[in-house]
Amino acid sequence: MRSLLIRIFVSFWSIIVITIVAASALGFWYAERTREMMQNFEDSDAVMEASVALNAEGREGLTRWLRSLPGATESLVYILDDNGKDLLGRKLPAPVRIAMVRFADPDRRRRPPRHDTRNIRLARPFTQLVAPDNRVYTVFVLPARSITTRWFVDRGRGALAALALLISAIVSFLLARTISRPIRRFRESANAIAGGHLDTRIAEHLGKRRDEIGLLAQDFDRMADGLQRAWLQQTELTRNVSHELRSPLARLRVALELARRKTGDLVELDRIERETERLDELIGRILEFSRLDSGFHEGRSTVSLDELLRAVVDDVRYEFGHQGTDARIELETGAECTLSGYPNALRSCIENVIRNALQHSHEDGNVTVGLTVDDARALITVEDQGGGVPDDELERIFEPFYRATARQASTAQQSGGLGLAIAARATALHGGAITARNTDNGLRVEISLPLALPP
Amino acid sequence: MMPPMTASKILIIDDDRELGEMLKEFLAPDHLDVSARLSGEDGLQALRQDAWDLLILDIMLPGMNGIDVLKEVRRSSDIPIIMLTARGDDVDRILGLEFGADDYLSKPFNPRELLARIKAIMRRSRPDEKRGGALSVGALEVDARARRVSAGGESIRLTGTEFELLRCLAESPGKVVPKEQLTQQVLGRRYMPYDRSIDTHVSNVRRKLSGAGVDNPSIRSQRGVGYLLLVDEQGRPDA
Repeated sequence: MRSLLIRIFVSFWSIIVITIVAASALGFWYAERTREMMQNFEDSDAVMEASVALNAEGREGLTRWLRSLPGATESLVYILDDNGKDLLGRKLPAPVRIAMVRFADPDRRRRPPRHDTRNIRLARPFTQLVAPDNRVYTVFVLPARSITTRWFVDRGRGALAALALLISAIVSFLLARTISRPIRRFRESANAIAGGHLDTRIAEHLGKRRDEIGLLAQDFDRMADGLQRAWLQQTELTRNVSHELRSPLARLRVALELARRKTGDLVELDRIERETERLDELIGRILEFSRLDSGFHEGRSTVSLDELLRAVVDDVRYEFGHQGTDARIELETGAECTLSGYPNALRSCIENVIRNALQHSHEDGNVTVGLTVDDARALITVEDQGGGVPDDELERIFEPFYRATARQASTAQQSGGLGLAIAARATALHGGAITARNTDNGLRVEISLPLALPP
Repeated sequence: MMPPMTASKILIIDDDRELGEMLKEFLAPDHLDVSARLSGEDGLQALRQDAWDLLILDIMLPGMNGIDVLKEVRRSSDIPIIMLTARGDDVDRILGLEFGADDYLSKPFNPRELLARIKAIMRRSRPDEKRGGALSVGALEVDARARRVSAGGESIRLTGTEFELLRCLAESPGKVVPKEQLTQQVLGRRYMPYDRSIDTHVSNVRRKLSGAGVDNPSIRSQRGVGYLLLVDEQGRPDA
């Protein structure tokens, strides 16, 4: 069927109609049978026999007569005394109990029968015998087995019922599957796209469905196409911009040296050189960020996190040492830890967080770098003594070019504003989480990395 | 074997014409005669036609890319090569060093830095009369004067940088030479943070040694410190 609407509509409609028809037919059949049976019993000699037995030998006689009835195949006979107990002490089936309650309830008993003939039938499913001592015995006749069982057993109806059950089960299952299977596929694809696999498409997996789900799949793919194209263009643009910006920078630097030769050292030339370097570094970071963001990664390999951490700390120490910063880095790691990951992205992540901590440290502040490992995760902590950031901005420090308001003055000279964003991207690439919180006198950044990289 | 005052011939392959012109002007006072080619194909042709002392190769070339040019050059020549890479593009840089570039600079570079690198490379690529004779380490013969490395009489082809690296290690076999010292002696510059050049050169030398069937001595690394040339006295490679 072409349309999911029609498919669901027809399935539900037919199941409901079949159920209603079958249920009313069954109910009607049941009522007829019961009435018939009762009629037969009342018309039969059985009532007369019971009456004779009761008159002749009282309760004993009636009990014996009841016991002497042939083993019930068609119908079951219950005779209740005025205490509502069966003469043979049997447990009363539900229909009998209900009838008893109705009968015993004076209000119900006195209520005049409605004009509904079926109501009248319901009000008299029993016969009463009055003993010589005026005790009243109530006779109930019931079909021997439950009506549904009987209906199934009778004349091949069982096979029909089984077939109906089977068919409806298959129809329901197929219907459920036509809906749930593509939905599962949609979920997988949406998650894949969210995970950066922008080349994920659905339609090819759904065959030639022409219904609403097929159309949805095509729409989904169109959306994914659009996303991928926009993202490719954006990445391409970023890379081209970076490259195009650097060519003039390269010429600028050579020109600067030529100028220096001709005019000698000028403070302004030094300044130009510094700013050129800064600009270059910024472009580098944008490039790095866009590369991390693009899903274009280096190969995965086994990385020794503790060694990497030591190497990065050494490097950063060296670099900042040459810039005459007094801030010190302390590395506290006894743990050894290897994980599968992207080495350069990890290096860049750690480096940027430490760099950020150093940039924001007070003159004599310490930066403490730590590594702890448990069964599933490695936790890298970087703590500075730079005063922290306002609590409500903690989330935002991982956004590109974010600048904490409290830090405006101190960051104005720093390049980037991309460092923590790069770290966040690199962490996400490894399925990890990066968080920041304020300590007593600074900021603590925690990078949590799963030891087993998700595929 | 070059008289000191003769200008060294330097070829620049870079598609930025103006940059080439300015570099020519900048390097001229240091007796460096610079010619520029704008594409890889032109550059290769120039290399075939003339003798050059040094090649400056931009990795980001349009058309035939710099890595391919590098591979092509290295098939037939040990000419010193400085490559120019995009800053932050580690892949290009590492690839370039692996394919035998002697050193690299990130573009945009400081031209004074370029001059220093050129001088360092030219200095060490010249046969050194002052240095002592041949060193013998394990199966290796390192002849500093002839700038030749051989094992069992078979000569092993190394670039200038690779030779210098091996010579540094061979001067003190069994002793760890720190990366800072290697960078200074081999590349003629200060060790910079995040610089993996030495590591790449070491792995190149390792590959060439094992390619020549030399497994004793072997180059070992001391994590975070440097490298050493290890000789197994029993003449067996240790596991």
